[in-house]
Amino acid sequence: MTGTFFWQGRRVPFGEGQTLAAALLAAGLRDLGGPDGRPARIFCGIGACQACAVTVEGLGVVEACLTPAVDGMRLGPAMTGDDHV
Amino acid sequence: MSDAPVLVVGAGPAGLGAALALAQAGVPVVLTEQRDAIGGAIHRQPASPQVPKVLRPARHARSFAMLAAGLAAAGGRIDLRTSTVFLGLDGADNALIDDRRRQRVEALSPAGIILATGAVEKVHPFPGWELPGVMTAGGAQVLLKETGRAPDGPVLVAGSGPLLLAVAAQLAAAGNPPVAVLERGRPWRRPTALAAMLASPANVAEGVGYAARLLRHGVPYVTGAAVTAVRTQGDDLDVMVRHGAAERTYRVRHLLVHDGLRAGASTGITETRDGPVPVLLAGDGREILGADAAVADGRRAAAEMLALLGRGAASAGDEQTLGAARRFQAALARLCEAPPPSPPPETLVCRCEGLRVADLDHLRPDASMRELRLVGRFGMGPCQGRFCGASVAALRPDADPSLKASAVPRWPVRPVSLASLAGFGDPAARTNPRIHQDTEDR
Repeated sequence: MTGTFFWQGRRVPFGEGQTLAAALLAAGLRDLGGPDGRPARIFCGIGACQACAVTVEGLGVVEACLTPAVDGMRLGPAMTGDDHV
Repeated sequence: MSDAPVLVVGAGPAGLGAALALAQAGVPVVLTEQRDAIGGAIHRQPASPQVPKVLRPARHARSFAMLAAGLAAAGGRIDLRTSTVFLGLDGADNALIDDRRRQRVEALSPAGIILATGAVEKVHPFPGWELPGVMTAGGAQVLLKETGRAPDGPVLVAGSGPLLLAVAAQLAAAGNPPVAVLERGRPWRRPTALAAMLASPANVAEGVGYAARLLRHGVPYVTGAAVTAVRTQGDDLDVMVRHGAAERTYRVRHLLVHDGLRAGASTGITETRDGPVPVLLAGDGREILGADAAVADGRRAAAEMLALLGRGAASAGDEQTLGAARRFQAALARLCEAPPPSPPPETLVCRCEGLRVADLDHLRPDASMRELRLVGRFGMGPCQGRFCGASVAALRPDADPSLKASAVPRWPVRPVSLASLAGFGDPAARTNPRIHQDTEDR
């Protein structure tokens, strides 16, 4: 599926079968940190380091590097709740 | 005799090797994979058929094709669950798995468990390693395989080990050769290790191919050079590098770091053979032997599991393959062996909890691992020490590792949504141990 998801309200296009991580990086969105100041970015790519954890509305906290993008998904920094999605 | 399935976690080469061997012996298997497709990091497939193919050895493609064909042929004997994350073991030896697609946590009661969750990359911390733009070389490689696209802008590859060469060559082939590959070790000064590697010609040929590709693109391979710090400079990174007595700064967009691979870190769960539910490790998650040997190690673990369950012989005849891989990896380790620069006090050690070397220095010099965790909070965040644990151990070599906060990592070892957990107490969500019957009826 090709489509668009939203990072803190900003539109991010994605290609067929792409993960959130691949689409975020392609859009130049490298800093996934939130207001808590914890540094966050795509790092290990295999779901181990938890540095790319994001909050997806309706899904909770997931690793961006593992999660397939879905059209219309709304996401934001991890651990900040839906206010920042 | 129970017909409960064996749970195999991870559908990379080791997990597939184990699952196929178990299925051939007539044992039902539940095979879980956190991704939406099989293959693991090594055989990560393109996100779509339109994605350009990434440079990789033909033998890897052949090996993956054989495993995929075996899985297709196994039919209902192997119940493959993709997008399913292993959360750990509860107190009653149930394996908790999170089906992220259906948002449902299930408790399986398997006859045995084989964890084939792969290796985790080592990254020795330096000031700035936590900045956006710094990724592991392996992470960048997985993304490259997925998208077929190299990151835009100048890339520097640094650390230690053969993966640096592979990733750099793949980036070059994808149209963005790195500005340099910085190897901390000095492999040319280890002729005996180089000679020992010749016993594995396929691996040597792979390495030579990567080196030739880098040469063609004019990518310098600098040995004895280590990153000492990184700073953000607008959208770019200033990477400070020490090369012998000289210092230099590279201005790049991306820094890819990698200091080798580490086994046993992806779940933190150790092997148990004498409990009611034996747990075995397989593949690079057990011992770093590489992708070729991982399939054999999966078969080995399956054979041992069958023996533990009273259903077969303990050996699958793969010892020779594993021995050769072990000798090759030992030579590789000697080849690139070089201590990392010791990180200054401001270096972040535990990203999850925001703790630095200085925070570690404030704890008692004779503190045990348990104290470092419970008092210092090192490794108490979402990664549960899977990433920072090795850094803490390296900085505190005398801390008694047997005094960990808990021997078995508490579930969930990975994040799980409350919505998924909410259905967990519902008896309908508890899977019948004779799960294979359901799958055979499908």
